[in-house]
Amino acid sequence: MPEVIKEVPPIWTTGWTDILNTGTWRSAVPVHKKRPAPCHKACPVEGEIPVWTQLVKAEKYQEAWLALAANNPFPAVTGRVCHHPCEGSCNRGEYDGAVAINALEHYVGDLALQEGWSLPKPEKEREQRVLVIGAGPAGLSCAYRLRLEGYQVTVFEEKPEAGGVLRYGIPQYRLPKAVLAGEIKRLQELGISIETGRRFESYELEQYEQEYDAVFLAIGAGKAKSLPQFPSDKRVLNGLEFLARANQNDTIALGQQVVVVGGGSVAMDVARTARRLGSYVTVLALEDGEHLPAQTDEVTGALEEGIAITGGAMVQEVQSSERGLGLACVKVNLDPEAPPGVLKPVVVPGSEFSLIADQVILAIGQDPETDVWNHLLPVKQTLFQIKPDFSTDRPGVFAGGDDASAERYVSSAIGQGKMAARSIARYLTGGSGSVDEEIVSLEEPVPFKDINTFYFPSQSRDYKGTTAAEQRVRDFSEVKTGFSSDQALAQAERCFSCGSCIECDNCFYFCPDMAVVKDATLEEHYRILDQYCKGCGSCVEECPRGAVVLKEESR
Amino acid sequence: MGYYNIQEEKVFNSGHAACPGCSEALAIRYIINTLGPDSIGVVPPSCIAIISGPQPLSSMRMPVYQTTLEASAASATGISRALKAKGNDHTNVVVIAGDGGTYDIGFQSLSSAAERNEDFIYVCLDNEGYMNTGAQKSSSTPYLAYTTSTPSGKPTPKKNLAEIMAAHRIPYVATATTGYPEDLARKVARAKELKGTGLRFILVLTPCLDGWGVADHAGPKTSRLAVETGVFPLYEVEYGERYTLNFGSKGTPVQAYLSQQSRYKHLRPEQIQEIQSQVDANWERLRERFSVP
Amino acid sequence: MSGERILVNGNHAAAYGVRLARPMVVPVYPITPQTPIVEKISEFQAEGQMEVELVTAESEHSAMSACITASLTGVRVFTATASQGLMLMHEMLHYASGARAPIVMVNVNRTIGSPWGFWPDQTDSLAQRDTGWIQYYCESGQESLDTILQAFRVAEKVLLPAMVVHEAFYVSHSLEVVEVPAQELADQFLPPFTPPHRLDPEIKESWGNTVNQDMFYRHRKTLGEAMDNALAAAKEADADYRALVGRGYGIIEEYRCDNPEIIIATMGSMTGTAREAVDELRAEGLAVGLLKVKLFRPFPLKDVRRALTGVPKVVVLDRNFAPGTGGFLHQEMKAALYGMSDGPEVHGYLAGVGGTNIPPAKIKDMVREALAEKAAAEPVWKG
Repeated sequence: MPEVIKEVPPIWTTGWTDILNTGTWRSAVPVHKKRPAPCHKACPVEGEIPVWTQLVKAEKYQEAWLALAANNPFPAVTGRVCHHPCEGSCNRGEYDGAVAINALEHYVGDLALQEGWSLPKPEKEREQRVLVIGAGPAGLSCAYRLRLEGYQVTVFEEKPEAGGVLRYGIPQYRLPKAVLAGEIKRLQELGISIETGRRFESYELEQYEQEYDAVFLAIGAGKAKSLPQFPSDKRVLNGLEFLARANQNDTIALGQQVVVVGGGSVAMDVARTARRLGSYVTVLALEDGEHLPAQTDEVTGALEEGIAITGGAMVQEVQSSERGLGLACVKVNLDPEAPPGVLKPVVVPGSEFSLIADQVILAIGQDPETDVWNHLLPVKQTLFQIKPDFSTDRPGVFAGGDDASAERYVSSAIGQGKMAARSIARYLTGGSGSVDEEIVSLEEPVPFKDINTFYFPSQSRDYKGTTAAEQRVRDFSEVKTGFSSDQALAQAERCFSCGSCIECDNCFYFCPDMAVVKDATLEEHYRILDQYCKGCGSCVEECPRGAVVLKEESR
Repeated sequence: MGYYNIQEEKVFNSGHAACPGCSEALAIRYIINTLGPDSIGVVPPSCIAIISGPQPLSSMRMPVYQTTLEASAASATGISRALKAKGNDHTNVVVIAGDGGTYDIGFQSLSSAAERNEDFIYVCLDNEGYMNTGAQKSSSTPYLAYTTSTPSGKPTPKKNLAEIMAAHRIPYVATATTGYPEDLARKVARAKELKGTGLRFILVLTPCLDGWGVADHAGPKTSRLAVETGVFPLYEVEYGERYTLNFGSKGTPVQAYLSQQSRYKHLRPEQIQEIQSQVDANWERLRERFSVP
Repeated sequence: MSGERILVNGNHAAAYGVRLARPMVVPVYPITPQTPIVEKISEFQAEGQMEVELVTAESEHSAMSACITASLTGVRVFTATASQGLMLMHEMLHYASGARAPIVMVNVNRTIGSPWGFWPDQTDSLAQRDTGWIQYYCESGQESLDTILQAFRVAEKVLLPAMVVHEAFYVSHSLEVVEVPAQELADQFLPPFTPPHRLDPEIKESWGNTVNQDMFYRHRKTLGEAMDNALAAAKEADADYRALVGRGYGIIEEYRCDNPEIIIATMGSMTGTAREAVDELRAEGLAVGLLKVKLFRPFPLKDVRRALTGVPKVVVLDRNFAPGTGGFLHQEMKAALYGMSDGPEVHGYLAGVGGTNIPPAKIKDMVREALAEKAAAEPVWKG
């Protein structure tokens, strides 16, 4: 305004309200912050799921894959076999069905193999050497993370090929060998040396402790459990051995009727493999049909393929005869009073029944072969005793995966390998550094109520993703069909991106006080103008994904 | 990556005196920041007058004339005609008034300005009552809503002002609300574009946090529920004839909208059902007018 | 550059004055007996004799509302009304002066309902004396025409609205020969209106925000100063007009006031009748003068005191009535003259209230009565 105009009767305005400090009204101030998504919190490898799904949404596929691979070198593998607790915790599950995260991972993982994308090279080389025993998911994950930091990593694997349970346990119809080989090859290209056919004996430990700066034991759980009521008979196989042979394309004659004992994932793999070999299969499990430890989709798959599952039953006696094995069975209930992890069957009187089997395959669990190590390292109930940082009593010796945990999920093993690598790196740098500086967040994940569903029009998960059962049982072709690019995009679109700002500007647009400003120089992208913000919380409410929180202020 | 794309000119200032989270302030932002600084505002007594700023300061970087409660449309007429007389064909004249000043005491002058088809934009920020004086009923207050002058609930329905204005056959009538800021800004831009054709009227539902009894952060959410339940459909009418629906009922039960607000907390289930029936009937009646079914 | 002489009624004469002033916006609403003014302006516009935005408002309230904003937007504004219309405008009259909008309005005095009547009575405009408007009372169409031009000049100088008043029928509908000055003279007298403060996006000043007590106090005080300044401005405008056009009226008029025994004080059309009565009484040998109060707001206090210094008696004739006090001019005169050691005794007669006819003979009777009697404190009803 011109100066002369300011000399006016008091009815004309002379200035603007932006000199007023309305910020003094508030009792709380909004803070833009990245909060953990429930999927991230549930992910065994601490995957940044909202980050890479948003990159998929933006069709930045290679960046998406790099974000995925940052925590897990096997996206194509876990995209197929992960038990995906992420989906179980997905906030969208409370709305219109969880995002099909696992299938998205599958899509991105396959795209990387197809396009031949490489993992990033270490930024610098380090001289320190680490020996990893076992080229299964835990061992290779640990090797990967250490290699990324520039350590020299050697992996010993007693089997002819690397992969561990991925190679010898999981059937091809779930995980094609080429996929696994592709992802392992990429690790070797990164400079990880894998020596296959190299069995490591416990007595060698002291020697290798001298040669290497650290050792990571990831020998897996390769010893099948047995049941006393079953005789030693060629008609009684253990599941691990059966799967290993099937995975090496051995010819196995099973006969017409196969009974699989066990209710876990291995039991399902065994049953479905046997079904593909032409047998009629019955599964007997202690747990009732609703509570089998196997993953739901595995059980569903088995049922679709014509496998009979008898839950809440056990074999009491086995009669061997020319006709086959006569199994005297009985229905049981599990004692709810039993300690956690212990199955205590209680027989239901008068519920006896019998089965005839040409072949019985036991899939009731497996243990690591730790007995030969117990003079060197503490072992408890077949597991290496480790500290929370995966270290053992021996300095520089770490253990993880199935040999140290009863979790027995591929992704858990990968996650443990990753976390062990973090500890090994810290150990190797004298406790100061780590593989990455990521701190495991103690913050609670974003709850569903913090999601503003107006911004997410209902769009059903709409994903089956398997071939027809009749087709499936004919051979070992892969069951999961995977996403088309359109399906992948549609699915990525469904991600709420809980707690991760995607710069949608809603906080900016809904502020009645213009107290939110965009600032590209800030990591959180926005700045709150302290002078004007009245603390109404509209930006918090209108953030579709809970990436703004209100912080109480005291004056 | 956003949900909205709104171009703003910075006309509305921070530091204004609206309540925290005020829907009217948000509406004003998109009204005057869309019109731009080459505008003259007319504001009658209302919360908008408070928001305009305490003397000697203004929250709007454009001239604003505060008039008397019943005179907004006449005041805007005076400005519009004076500009015309001076040969100015570019400055926007805009009234921003509340529902009391529009539906009730200001209706006579508004209807006359519409009949004369005066060349200005009239925006009614409708918070369904005299909220600035402590929540008394206006003729915009909905059926059964509590106000301090209808403590047992208003016994008669809300006046349908958008339809009344459409019946004046003015160039443009639109309904908008703060939960759909881009739609609001687009309608203001459309009204601006139609300068020279006559009176353009925009009815903006602006939930009053205090008067309706909703949380400080719940303005936009409440506004969207009004749309999704069919209580307040968003549409445009050109020359009283051409109807276009922008956002209408999604079939969300009206209960979802009413239960957010303490002004409806006294309702009995059968009263909610009665409101639902009225909303359904109004929505059906309106639907018949849209050219595209 | 002499003007045109035409035979017109008082309202049309006013319309010619308006045409000369070149207002750019004229909001109108019809009401008897004012309607011929806006009809004539509409006719001028239709015939291309005036370039003006006519707003056919739905009420006087809206008409005045539009006047205020048009004026604040920086253009010259005119309107006209009467009686009930003025009553409906009341709120906006205050608003207009508060806004310092130099609107000029003609009010044709008419009785206020209820009951209904259409008769000359000044109560409508006098009841607006405290609204902050300058008020001129005219006795003829010619005077109204000339005063409209002067009113614009004064109003725009001090930034206050001004009302030019004449009475129903006696002036509004009576034919008389009127001289309409040449447009060039009017333009010379009344330059274009360019207020420094206005509603203008280039300046961005806003008007009408809520103020605090101190601001309100200052605002009212400033308004009062503007009203005070209007006295000098009105005198100057009248003098300039006289110099330019050859006609002037003064803010008061003293007619045959040399050494009087009594002076008749009145306003509006009654002054014409009173002038006749004075002539007759003077012919009869009675020393009678006439004081015409033309400018009623601001009240020309000093001029009135000077005019009545040493005069024994004044008889105030009011064609208006404020129940509870009496005639408006009577009250104002008493207040103006209070405390004068050599001031007159003031007689207040209510004469012509409701539009009753007051011929010269009746005025002469009232003068004789006032000379014979002591002044009553109360108003005296005189039909």
